[in-house]
Amino acid sequence: MAKNKADLLQGTLDMLILKALSLGELHGYGIIQRIRQLSDEMLNVEQGSLYPALYRIEQKGWVSARWDVHETGREAKFYKLTRAGRKQLETEEASWDRLCLAIAKVRQATT
Amino acid sequence: MKWFNILRDRLRALRQRETVINDIDREMRLHLEMQVDANIKSGMSPAEAREKAMRSFGNLNRAVDAAYDVKGGGIFETLAQDIRYGVRMLVKHKAFTSIAVITLALGIGANTAIFSVVNELLLRPLPYRDADRVVTVWEVTPEGRHQNTTSRTNFRAWREQNSSFQYIAAFTDQRLNLTGTGEPEELSVQLATPEIFKILGVEPLLGRTFLADDDKADSPAVAVLSYGLWQRRFGGQTSVIGQQITLNDVTFTVIGVMPPNFQFHIKQRSGTGRPAELWSILPMPVGGAANQRGRFLGAVARLKDGVSVEQATADLRTIHARLSDEAPQFNKNYTAEVIPLREQFFGNVRRPLWLMLGAVGFVLLIACANVANLLLSLASSREKEIAVRAALGARRTRIVRQLLTESLLLALLGSVLGLGFAWLGIKALIAISPRDLVSLQTVGLNFTVLAWTLGVSLLTGIVFGMAPALHISRLNLNDSLKDGGKSESGQASGSRRLRSALVVSEIALAVVLLASAGLLIRSFLRLQQVDRGFNTDNVLTMVIRLPAARYREDPQVVNFFSQALERVRQLPTVRSAGMINFLPLYGGLGSNTAFKILGQPEPPPGQAPSTDVRVVDAGYFPTMGIPLLRGRTFTGNELREAKHVLLINDALARQHFPNQDPIGQRLDVMMFEKPTPAEIIGVVGNVRYDSLVDEAPPAVYFPHPDLAYEFMTLVVRTDGDPTAIAPAVQREIRSLDPNQPVSDVRTMNQVMSEWVARSRFNTLLLGLFAGLATLLSAVGIFGVMNYSVALRTRELGLRLAVGAQPRQVLMLVLKQGLVLTIAGVVLGLAAAFALTRLLSGLLFGVAAVDVTTFASISLLLVIVSLFACYLPARRAMRIDPLRALRYE
Repeated sequence: MAKNKADLLQGTLDMLILKALSLGELHGYGIIQRIRQLSDEMLNVEQGSLYPALYRIEQKGWVSARWDVHETGREAKFYKLTRAGRKQLETEEASWDRLCLAIAKVRQATT
Repeated sequence: MKWFNILRDRLRALRQRETVINDIDREMRLHLEMQVDANIKSGMSPAEAREKAMRSFGNLNRAVDAAYDVKGGGIFETLAQDIRYGVRMLVKHKAFTSIAVITLALGIGANTAIFSVVNELLLRPLPYRDADRVVTVWEVTPEGRHQNTTSRTNFRAWREQNSSFQYIAAFTDQRLNLTGTGEPEELSVQLATPEIFKILGVEPLLGRTFLADDDKADSPAVAVLSYGLWQRRFGGQTSVIGQQITLNDVTFTVIGVMPPNFQFHIKQRSGTGRPAELWSILPMPVGGAANQRGRFLGAVARLKDGVSVEQATADLRTIHARLSDEAPQFNKNYTAEVIPLREQFFGNVRRPLWLMLGAVGFVLLIACANVANLLLSLASSREKEIAVRAALGARRTRIVRQLLTESLLLALLGSVLGLGFAWLGIKALIAISPRDLVSLQTVGLNFTVLAWTLGVSLLTGIVFGMAPALHISRLNLNDSLKDGGKSESGQASGSRRLRSALVVSEIALAVVLLASAGLLIRSFLRLQQVDRGFNTDNVLTMVIRLPAARYREDPQVVNFFSQALERVRQLPTVRSAGMINFLPLYGGLGSNTAFKILGQPEPPPGQAPSTDVRVVDAGYFPTMGIPLLRGRTFTGNELREAKHVLLINDALARQHFPNQDPIGQRLDVMMFEKPTPAEIIGVVGNVRYDSLVDEAPPAVYFPHPDLAYEFMTLVVRTDGDPTAIAPAVQREIRSLDPNQPVSDVRTMNQVMSEWVARSRFNTLLLGLFAGLATLLSAVGIFGVMNYSVALRTRELGLRLAVGAQPRQVLMLVLKQGLVLTIAGVVLGLAAAFALTRLLSGLLFGVAAVDVTTFASISLLLVIVSLFACYLPARRAMRIDPLRALRYE
């Protein structure tokens, strides 16, 4: 919890990745595409920041990875949410909601 | 589990770096291809699609690197890289590396050696069970003399009335003659009440220690052997248990043997001055004035759980107040003190030891400053290399980490060599430490010491590595790349300021050490010059202790000693011979005894004057060169005369007979069972018996036959080397009694030098460290000036070319060095003014702030550093202007 607050940006990216994967197994390119779709093209995750975050999440045991053949016939590395990852997503979403609510309240008070 | 995954990944990366990188690379490239496919699908030409995808991806290599940092790289990988690179760098600059490593090794070695002593004496638990609960108990005399021994009666009161101790035991050290098996030998024996082993909590190696019943009057006499004695006299045989041995003609039964390292020796209050080799029961007869009057017992106790030293002290003071009321003539104004065991053993060395540790800390700081300077010089010549690395994308933290790794490598190398130095240093310390200081035999390189060394070297690595690392990481890339770090660019002048600051602090630290060493040296010289009241040259001394059982009757004692002296006087080269019970500076117990002056009003109890009491024969004074100031000396016929006589020293005469002639006055000194007034027949010169530091207190001398002791110290003055006569003297004594051992055969000069040994030891050690500090700071200033001359080659060459005289260039460089030196000296003197007062307890006859000392060491440092500057200055003078101008 404390960690998420302190490290908001990274935590946010982690949450987005977890969310994207919660809808099914994906490769790196697919994760970026899915986040873009889900955000109505508003969020565009850079490849350069995706992979370090993805590997970090993998090390934390929230996702698992395997090489497989892509529908185009190319190989790709696929990532899948683990049970721990699903729980982490719930925690992060809850804390994100709280944060949004808190910010909203502050803003109402000032305007 | 998180950290486990990370560790697994990192270790895998370390072993299979290529696989991991390929994996990442493949994933990224496939990602790129998908992007290209998507771009083509959205209608771009293949070339355009690829270019766009590449652009959105950014630098692929960098992306792989960033990802790799998570997956593999990280700390392990970079560390491995840094170490590889660092080793390569150190190997490349061999001269730099060796100087830096040796400098550090000297600092770390000195530190480790001193720390190992500190650890042994001040930090490690004492070898007794729960040693922090063990205390010693002493009396404090009305004159404020601390750690004074107590009497049987008072000890008994402590034992019965205290509420603070689980057990309390009394002990005293005596020398007893062991006869029967082999050569007769004088042993140091500790007599103690049975609880002593329970208090110390040490189990015997063989047999048993004392039981409560062992001190019953009708119990057989028992003895516990030290491991050393057991090995030496009894061949380490287990059959020794139950064996009978003879000590001073009394039979004892051996009941146990203690383990090798067991000892309980309180040097300052030991009547033998030697650790005990045998333990036996201290008889505690009840009643008799001697039991109240004779103060000769030490006491050791184990505190009850939850009782503090302060509570125990308060408890004993209450008991003493009661004792004072019950027997004011013996106990008025006496009180008690309780001292923790470590304080008892090492209290007197604690301060010098911490000081030494501080001193070696300073030496290490100087070494660090030197190495930091070397690194800065090296760093300047590496500016270009570093700039290239930064330009190729190395981050600042990465460069700092690389440089710190190099300095840590240096520090570790230094500490390995330093451990070697420390090992030698400890050997040397043990060899030169005063025999009576403390037993340093067990000091060595143990785990704690190694841990300390590792800690110190890591710390030093960071300390001396930080400055250069931070400095270089702030470099301006463009400038460095342009001029290749050869000339005095803006950053270089910043680093010059830093280097100058380091040299100034080095000199300041050296000044503090030199000032301290100078003060100790002056005290030591003063101590040598002090008027001790006797002449030590060509005097041989030896102790003869007659077993009380054999020479029980005083006339026999008289006969033995006077016959021995008679024979010694007949020997060739002997000029005179005499004897005294306790030699000057013998250490051990001073006998402070109350006396009354007949015809003067009786002082109130507890305020009777007291005096040192010595027993001598007439030959003692001429042999020791002590002048007879008034009256006459002994004749040797005192025993046959009815009246008792004595001599007093000048101090007693001045103190108690300021305006009258003491000759013919009568004193009653409380040395006898019944009042025994004695007439003063003469006044002799003062002798510093207890310490060279203090003025001689009042003293009286009884003629030997009048107050017979069963042990005496012979003093023999010879023509030429007194040790040459020793075998002949021993032969004469053995011809009188073949069973009579002689001990402590020493010259008076040896006795003296043992007394000043501690002072000499401290002086030598601190002098050594100060010398090391001076040497290192000289090397430091040499390095800085040398480098500065190298940097200014062009400028100096230009000056020479336009007509400057070589001499002027020489002066220019010397002046620069002198400014640094003087800044350091001024700073150092300021620090010395504040710090040398910590030495005050160790100084004698010189103030903590001594102008002469401070002035001379400042001068010394200036001369040394001018000399260190002279070599680079001479080089500057000889610069060839033509070559200098082409120099790049």
